[in-house]
Amino acid sequence: MTLLRRRMTVLASAALAGSVLAACGAGQSDDDGDSLIVGTTDKVVSIDPAGAYDNGSMAVQTQVYQYLLNFPPGSTELTPDAAEECDFESPTVYVCTIKSGLKFANGNDLTASDVAFSFQRIVDINDPNGPASLLGAMKKVEARDDTTVAFTLAAPNDQTFPQVLVTSAGPIVDEETYPADEVLDDDAAVEANGFSGPYTIGEYKKNELAEFKINPDYDGTYGEPKSDVTLRYYADSNNLKLDVEKGDIDVAHRSLTPTDIESLEKSDDVTVHTGPGGELRYIVFNLKTMPGDDDEQKQAVRQAAAYLLDREEISTEVYKGTYTPAYSIVPEGQVGATEAFKDKYGAKPDPDAARKVLQDAGVSTPVELNLQWNPDHYGNSSDQEYQAVKRQLEEGGLFSVKLQSTEWNTYSEERVNDAYPAYQLGWFPDFPDPDNYLTPFFAPNNFLQSHYEDDRMTKLLDSERTDADQASREATLAKIQEMVAEQVPVLPLLTGAQVAVAGNDVDGVSETLDPSFKFRFSTLSK
Amino acid sequence: MTTDVLVAADSPAAEPPQRRGGLSPLARYLLIRLALIVPMLWVLVTLVFFLMRVIGDPITAAQGGRLTAEQIAERKAEAGLDRPILTQYVEYLGDIVRGDFGRTLTDNREVTDILLVNGAATLELSFWALFVAFGLGIPLGRVAARHRDRWPDVVLRLFAIVAYAAPVFFVGLLLKLATAPFGWPTAGRASTATELTLAKVDPQTNIMIVDAILWGEPRYVVDVLQHAVLPAVALGLLTGGVFLRLVRVNLLQTLRADYVTAARAKGVPERKVVSKHAFRNALVPVVTVMGMQVAMLLAGAVLTETTFEWKGIGYELAQYLIRRDFLAVQGIVTVIAFIVCVASFVIDAVVALVDPRVRF
Repeated sequence: MTLLRRRMTVLASAALAGSVLAACGAGQSDDDGDSLIVGTTDKVVSIDPAGAYDNGSMAVQTQVYQYLLNFPPGSTELTPDAAEECDFESPTVYVCTIKSGLKFANGNDLTASDVAFSFQRIVDINDPNGPASLLGAMKKVEARDDTTVAFTLAAPNDQTFPQVLVTSAGPIVDEETYPADEVLDDDAAVEANGFSGPYTIGEYKKNELAEFKINPDYDGTYGEPKSDVTLRYYADSNNLKLDVEKGDIDVAHRSLTPTDIESLEKSDDVTVHTGPGGELRYIVFNLKTMPGDDDEQKQAVRQAAAYLLDREEISTEVYKGTYTPAYSIVPEGQVGATEAFKDKYGAKPDPDAARKVLQDAGVSTPVELNLQWNPDHYGNSSDQEYQAVKRQLEEGGLFSVKLQSTEWNTYSEERVNDAYPAYQLGWFPDFPDPDNYLTPFFAPNNFLQSHYEDDRMTKLLDSERTDADQASREATLAKIQEMVAEQVPVLPLLTGAQVAVAGNDVDGVSETLDPSFKFRFSTLSK
Repeated sequence: MTTDVLVAADSPAAEPPQRRGGLSPLARYLLIRLALIVPMLWVLVTLVFFLMRVIGDPITAAQGGRLTAEQIAERKAEAGLDRPILTQYVEYLGDIVRGDFGRTLTDNREVTDILLVNGAATLELSFWALFVAFGLGIPLGRVAARHRDRWPDVVLRLFAIVAYAAPVFFVGLLLKLATAPFGWPTAGRASTATELTLAKVDPQTNIMIVDAILWGEPRYVVDVLQHAVLPAVALGLLTGGVFLRLVRVNLLQTLRADYVTAARAKGVPERKVVSKHAFRNALVPVVTVMGMQVAMLLAGAVLTETTFEWKGIGYELAQYLIRRDFLAVQGIVTVIAFIVCVASFVIDAVVALVDPRVRF
């Protein structure tokens, strides 16, 4: 036995020594460089634009693809990116001229044919996770020659179409490497290197790590990138917070909890950057099942609720300022946004006005309201948010609120089946245009399916969508927001600020936190 | 699937095993154990398949707050989720029999790719956890047995109870909070620079420590080891506590055996009695229990990997479950079940081969 033990000891020592020697060997060279590390809790569904319509995928696409039009950092004005210019040729034909000499990083030419291919394949593939629904306004796309692409639109003078070109439906892919009828696997997309954006992808491990290398041939809206960037994915915001605090990563972008942000604000080592947000949190009323005997009473109940809410308190107490009060369905910072709810109901609760509106409509109080909220889709603070809403509505005894929560899948199915008289929802815009906060909510057969339909509203929506005159469009938008405040089919609560936390030595974070919601790595440096 | 260990010597009616169908009893026993894996996996796959359909679909999970019911129905049809559930079930069974686990619905990944890449990460974590479990449980169990009912024994018994009773995520969180202020790595399998470098290793094993050794620079090996410490301790304590108690109890029983008394009577020093005569025999039940511990480790891995951002199949399972991705969850659960079944089978086979008390 002693002999065996000795042999085993010798063998184990040899194995250990071998490992150490191997570890201490000459070593292969690596190229750490001086790149930035950005952390996120978002997930990538697909790098291929035909297979994704989510924030995590858009964060990658923004860095590696070019679009026809795009938003330069800090601007809300659409600027040509791969295009030289774009304009309406006729009310239903929108034409773009492509810059000549553009190339993908793999050496293939970027032509109008690639652009037409990119849009057409999204519609043809119609992937369940894809952005095909964003191209509902496009009837046809064709390349007239190497530099001209023409979009035939379903409605004349559709002013939202240029905005669609900047969304998840807008990245231009390489016709020679992307299949026309199926989504390209991420590893194959990285291998194909069909990127013409500010960066190309080096090492890539899906939802673990993505290495963005500066594309020296990039010629577009974002300008010259300043630094290589590595994107690191997290599951837990707590780990993201710890790593940015320790300096293991340079920037944490999406999504830290309000408590984490509040704690990081006190740190001397990092800076919390905020920018205008587009995310909207709101309450939907089901006009069929909500309390009230007739339409007049139901509207009075909704208006009374609007009088009683204190958004500022929810913003500061629950969300520590990471969400700010939303006084219109179109959030502050968007073109044509007003403060219609503040104008009509005030910024502070007004129980007397609420009581009067209910009395005038003959509503008996307390109004019994079943208010549904969801615990697993809109963040951990939803619970506290709706506890605050309940408390505010019940103050003064006008409402008796029963809060109920349901798991997301069931919630999504039940809310459109008239199961909830009033319920929580959130909205993240597809593109930064006020119409994206209006048509999806108030046009006939909208996604809310809350039985709201109003011919006057439909006409106003049609008008703002097709009005090329900015001043006249803004006037129409103001009317719509006023009408929403009057009818209260939904009750806007809060709008989410964009927040990124970065080491003090990192520059360019605030530049990219603009209303375009595009987090451009090209502005970052240290 | 664990073996029933009966002491044949205690049973006077025990008869020598008979050959049936030309197979030795041991071979027949092992074949039956092996064959049982198939129905067990089938039951599990079936259960998971239907349960996942009950808790919702990935398209509603992703788009329920922004599309109309018609649009969601269209997308479900596009993904083939509107077909009769039995058709989907039979099709899925056919696919997995051919080794095709399909592609995930929510991020278009080959499920087999997840099993290979993330499975390697879980394998690595399990290795480190077992390293901690053996390293702590066995020597401490021995110390506890030697000092029976004295203060070291009491302290170690208490430690063992706390180790396996405390939830893994709680222990993980405590470890993170305790070490983070000192800059110790609390998330991931390696730092970003190391991961980027090791991604270039060819051929890549996806086992970080092996890739680091293959790359050949000590700083990467050290970095990988540093990142493994907290998750390995959190998960290893769970199993280590079980091992500690098991070794203690078995060593105490063995120390009461006749042959140990005989050794003592012959004047063999107590230290030698324990280390040479009693300790090894006390380890046999530990081997038996290891089969069950594999299941426990994998269950613990789901929580440990999520707590420490260790991107193994446990972590992926939690992520896909949140997104209601049927295919990913079914594939991962099937493979975890397969690993547990095979591990149990291997342990049963080893015990049957080495322990003459096992009856077939």
